[in-house]
Amino acid sequence: MIEVRELSKNYNGMPVLNGIDLDINDNETLVILGPSGQGKTVFIKSLVRLIEPDSGTIRYDGIDVLTLPKRKFIAIQKKIAFVFQDNALFDFLNVKENLSLYLRMHSKLSEKEIFKEVLRAIEFVRMNEEVLDKYPEELSGGMMKRIAIARAIIQQPCYMFYDEPTTGLDEANVEMVVELIHKFKKRVCKFEKRVCATVVIVTHDIHLMHAVSDRVVLLKEGKIVFVGKKEEISEESLHRLYDTGVRDDL
Amino acid sequence: MQTKIIFENVGGRTIDFFTAIYEAWQLVIDSIKALPHIWFYRRQVTEQIYVFLVKTLPIAAVISIFVGLGAMIQGTYQSSALIPRTYVINVIFKSTIIELCPIILSLILAGKLGASLAAELGSMKISEQVEALETMSLDPVGFLIMPRILAGMIMLPIIIIFANFLAMFSVFFIASIATDWISPKEFLSGMQMNYRAFEFYFGNLIKPAVNGFFIALVGSYFGMRTHGGALGVGRAATNAVVVSAILIVFFDYYLARLLL
Ligand SMILES: Nc1ncnc2c1ncn2[C@@H]1O[C@H](COP(=O)(O)OP(=O)(O)OP(=O)(O)O)[C@@H](O)[C@H]1O
Ligand SMILES: [Mg+2]
Repeated sequence: MIEVRELSKNYNGMPVLNGIDLDINDNETLVILGPSGQGKTVFIKSLVRLIEPDSGTIRYDGIDVLTLPKRKFIAIQKKIAFVFQDNALFDFLNVKENLSLYLRMHSKLSEKEIFKEVLRAIEFVRMNEEVLDKYPEELSGGMMKRIAIARAIIQQPCYMFYDEPTTGLDEANVEMVVELIHKFKKRVCKFEKRVCATVVIVTHDIHLMHAVSDRVVLLKEGKIVFVGKKEEISEESLHRLYDTGVRDDL
Repeated sequence: MQTKIIFENVGGRTIDFFTAIYEAWQLVIDSIKALPHIWFYRRQVTEQIYVFLVKTLPIAAVISIFVGLGAMIQGTYQSSALIPRTYVINVIFKSTIIELCPIILSLILAGKLGASLAAELGSMKISEQVEALETMSLDPVGFLIMPRILAGMIMLPIIIIFANFLAMFSVFFIASIATDWISPKEFLSGMQMNYRAFEFYFGNLIKPAVNGFFIALVGSYFGMRTHGGALGVGRAATNAVVVSAILIVFFDYYLARLLL
């Protein structure tokens, strides 16, 4: 369980996160929805300590991670995987090396076993071996996203974070991402026989929210304006969330 | 009013300057802290050493040959007939391998390696790859910076020793073999004259290691603080070259005063 309390962050004196309180339950898929520029990326990166917030606390299973020295945080960090908005594949490594890196650095598996894991991950995201020798720059946006997801699941995370996983993808690829998000949970529960599979997604994609969420958080101007099931969201609150101030009657 | 703006400007820049020194110093401390994990990052270290060799060897060869020959032409041209040729060779030898070759190569590599290092890390930084390392429980300093600093400090002396050999060999080839300006025997005795071991350690080990350290540190520093897209990457590369070149010429003078 992740407990967030009073989380705040300012940039240049402007509040981006404004006292956020939120509990993220184990094994749920939580979607944080908000229009562009509302601090979604800042929030999700704060959750994994990529951004140090100005104040507030974040607890993973009761452990306050913000006061933890980086060295001790690693034990928790190893349970976390993050899929970046722009994928952040290592462009100096080919796909195979991108996928192998984590296991090579953190596991005692042999090269052969690592390769087996890589193949499994590639299969998981419905791609074939040919892609392994390619470099990220040779991949399409949809392929990159799938490799980024493969690189994340190879870490066997308990907590999976996605920053805008569907932005910039066509419909087929969006459906693919939706499927992969579901599949991750199934795989963890069925095959890896682990119990924890918490998924946190920030997005402005209402379709994605409907497709995957157990619970939804609406974020506006660095504040949470709604928490609950997707069925409970009124048309009006969504409208208000995405209100850009542009009037249709003009 | 004018003066106030000037003071604010100067004040701001002074603060920036000291912040930069502090941040760079932090990078050094973090790299030292990453040293105990060198076995964990061994692949990255060997890879950087390899990259360093591939990137520098050809250019070091070309430059050193012509630096040596240039020094020889000047030495022979400037000396009158009254000066024994062994003395002339001695001056060429020492000036080339203690000063000319090390500093010229260091400056060139500051341009080549420093810029590419800053651009490489800078583009990783702006495309979230550095953050991706962190989420994979890898320390960006241990993974990216410590191996580069180490490679710089180990490989620059090796490259410079290699370059010095080449430079002197080309001088020897022209002066003793191609033309008969000096006999091989005299050439050798010219090189041995007035021999002081420390000068050679200084010119071939200490100074290059210090320069290698600065090239890698400054490149990493500007790379890691890159922001503002592709423009920022270009800026990082330029800054890295300018600052490391200044540090190299300054310490070239300062270390010589301090140690020789
Ligand atoms: N490093 C930074 N320096 C200054 N301001 C920042 C920084 N990072 C984010 N901000 C500001 O914080 C606000 C929220 O940014 P954030 O990236 O979290 O938005 P977002 O909700 O993820 O938007 P998008 O959907 O476009 O990705 C923006 O107004 C942005 O200008
Ligand atoms: Mg974002």
